[in-house]
Amino acid sequence: MANVTRLKERPEATAIEVAGLSHVYSGAEGGVAALEDISMEVVAGRFVVIVGPSGCGKTSLLMMLAGLRHQTEGTILCNGRPIQEPDPGRVGVVFQEASLFPWLSAADNVEFPLVLRGVSKDERRSRSEAMLRLVGLEGFGARYPHELSGGMKQRVSIARGLVQDPPVLLMDEPFAALDEQTRMTMGHELLRIWSATRKTVVFITHSLTEAVYLADEVLVMSARPGRIIDRIQVTLPRPRTYEMMATDTFGRLRDRIWQQIRKTSQPGLEG
Amino acid sequence: MTRLQIVLTRVFLLALVVAAWECLPRFGFANPRLLPPLSDVLTMLAQLLGRPQVHEAIWVTAAEVIVAFLIAVPLGAAIGVLIAENEYVGDIFRPILFYVFSIPKSIFLPMFILMFGIGFGQKVAYAAFSTTFVVIMSAAAAVESVKADHVLVARSYGATRGQIFTRVYVPSMMPVLLETLRISMIFNFTGVMIAEMYASRTGIGHLIANWGENFQMRQLFAGVILLAVVAIAFNETVRYLEGRCSTWRT
Amino acid sequence: MRWPAPSTARWLILVGLLAFWELMPRTKIIPELFLPALSKTLTVLYTDRYDYIEALGVTIYEVAIAMVFACGLGILVGAVVGGVALLRNLLLPIFSSLYAVPIVILYPIFTAWLGIGSESKIAFAAIYGFFPVMLSTAAGIRTIDPQYVLAARSMGATLSQQIARVIIPASIPTVLTGLRLGGALTIIGVVVAEMLTSAAGIGYLVTRYRTILDSPRVFAAILMILALSVLFDVLARSVEKRTLVWQTACRSPKRSRSHLQTVPAGAPA
Repeated sequence: MANVTRLKERPEATAIEVAGLSHVYSGAEGGVAALEDISMEVVAGRFVVIVGPSGCGKTSLLMMLAGLRHQTEGTILCNGRPIQEPDPGRVGVVFQEASLFPWLSAADNVEFPLVLRGVSKDERRSRSEAMLRLVGLEGFGARYPHELSGGMKQRVSIARGLVQDPPVLLMDEPFAALDEQTRMTMGHELLRIWSATRKTVVFITHSLTEAVYLADEVLVMSARPGRIIDRIQVTLPRPRTYEMMATDTFGRLRDRIWQQIRKTSQPGLEG
Repeated sequence: MTRLQIVLTRVFLLALVVAAWECLPRFGFANPRLLPPLSDVLTMLAQLLGRPQVHEAIWVTAAEVIVAFLIAVPLGAAIGVLIAENEYVGDIFRPILFYVFSIPKSIFLPMFILMFGIGFGQKVAYAAFSTTFVVIMSAAAAVESVKADHVLVARSYGATRGQIFTRVYVPSMMPVLLETLRISMIFNFTGVMIAEMYASRTGIGHLIANWGENFQMRQLFAGVILLAVVAIAFNETVRYLEGRCSTWRT
Repeated sequence: MRWPAPSTARWLILVGLLAFWELMPRTKIIPELFLPALSKTLTVLYTDRYDYIEALGVTIYEVAIAMVFACGLGILVGAVVGGVALLRNLLLPIFSSLYAVPIVILYPIFTAWLGIGSESKIAFAAIYGFFPVMLSTAAGIRTIDPQYVLAARSMGATLSQQIARVIIPASIPTVLTGLRLGGALTIIGVVVAEMLTSAAGIGYLVTRYRTILDSPRVFAAILMILALSVLFDVLARSVEKRTLVWQTACRSPKRSRSHLQTVPAGAPA
């Protein structure tokens, strides 16, 4: 009996498995290699951050994890099944631009994925209210996007990504368009939501501070063609606090990431 | 599709239209008295271009177009710049202009006729009147398109007003100015045509209206083709110049 | 002295114009032939009101039908040509080149084919309104932020769901502008056609009274047309205002510039 229970729980289950992923854009001169032989395994419930220089292909990689784009080579498995097309029940996506539909209220925006699948009105309502409460926007359901601040719009976007309770959440520089102070607050909020829901998160950012602050593991990508050149475990204790940003450990981790990125952006330079 | 393929497809579409225009009347699918075959029309066009009566009409129309343009553009530009530069004046007149824009200027044509009679002056006055409004709007937009940041930078380096004008405003506005000229000419040409077709004894527009009344379809279509070609030629030339000027525009 | 507020200044200008209209002819500074007094104009408008209303009815009828074609087809064709990249690259430049030709020169063809009744006006005005609506819709379709479609796809929307629930709502501001433009131009097209060759309608009245030099009646007709077009404009703008919020949100900033360049903001006539 005990064995069966352990099998069912499987705490070390892999949420995302990428093997030998490569992508070549077909162009006039034959093709541009965007991604080269990417392999990674993300354990369920972990917060993984991907950083890299501009143009390294991290957004393309995320698009493929979401099923919005097809890779030329390699496989992507999510909870054991391959990703062929967008599947909001398995993978939720949060974009850099909140991309909330301006003609719908916040609650309607959060309910949108459910509307697409024909879920009943009552159930939609209760789910969207629960999600808005989770992201700290209880009572704001009737507001329209133009009445919300940047940070609030992103919270709605996160709520929308979570409304179908996918085990995996992909986030493409969601805080890039926000000012620094709002970014820090949103980062803190995101960690709170993450620890409450225990999703697997793959997060892309340009900010090294944000990467170290949020992540369990940071994957560093090289310049095009993008490869994974380093995997850094962030061993800082949770819950993370702002004070940790001043510690030596934090500084060393950030520095290590920066050195890697510098090397890959300017191949002649030795760190 | 590559550029070549696009051009070829367009040529093919044009050929289809030409073929239809030629064959439908000739084979009886369309009444040849209402839609003369293209070859007949083109033959007539060649004939018309040889007649002195037609030459005269072309000169008259061209003169009206040019004179009206020369009046409307500076006048409209001056007013447009005033509206854009002077906040107070702008606030007053902008909403007025918005409404005026949607009013058919052609309804004022009888006014001009009552005032000036029927002749060169009336047609020019009307066309200039009709064109001035679009010049005003475009000029105001052109002035506003100059980024305040650029002007600020120039001022911080101690540029005089004259220098700011020639070194920031003019280069910034050049592409928009060309666009303005192009669109103003479209409006101008239309204004002259309406005036000539409505009440006139001279000009191409008058000839066309006449041919229409007398069911001289070949001449009518010939005139339409002539005007269309001229209008499009001018338009494309200015567009080409615009393209050359605005490589730096995002 | 303090300058009056802009809105007050506008009212003052309007009042000034009306006073000008009344006083200048009365005091014979401007001959009555050129500018009949405002009071005279309004008087004949009242005495002949049945004629004017009947004529207006004909005109409105023609405008309504022409508008259905011009706006309906214009929006449809504009959406397709603007949305499908192949068609856009192929056809759009052709259409915008054709825009340079004064469409009014085609009117005699319509009268030769369809006579001087309502059909020729409707056909002509429909074409007159079609081009700008089509061009403006084609340009506007491209200003829709592609991120919306991407977001919808990421949520598992099928193609028909993307079109129905994202593209159509996102294009409403563009469509409304096109309708306003198309409507204004259709009115112009009908009026011009009626003025040129017609047997009925407000434009026809303008011409008829002009030829007999009956200035007050000419101006009365002009006043009616003015009222019609201003009314339509006010109506259209108030509908647009309600969706103004979507407009500012929908347009991706880098595209709005090209939208301005394709179609001028007004009417050639």
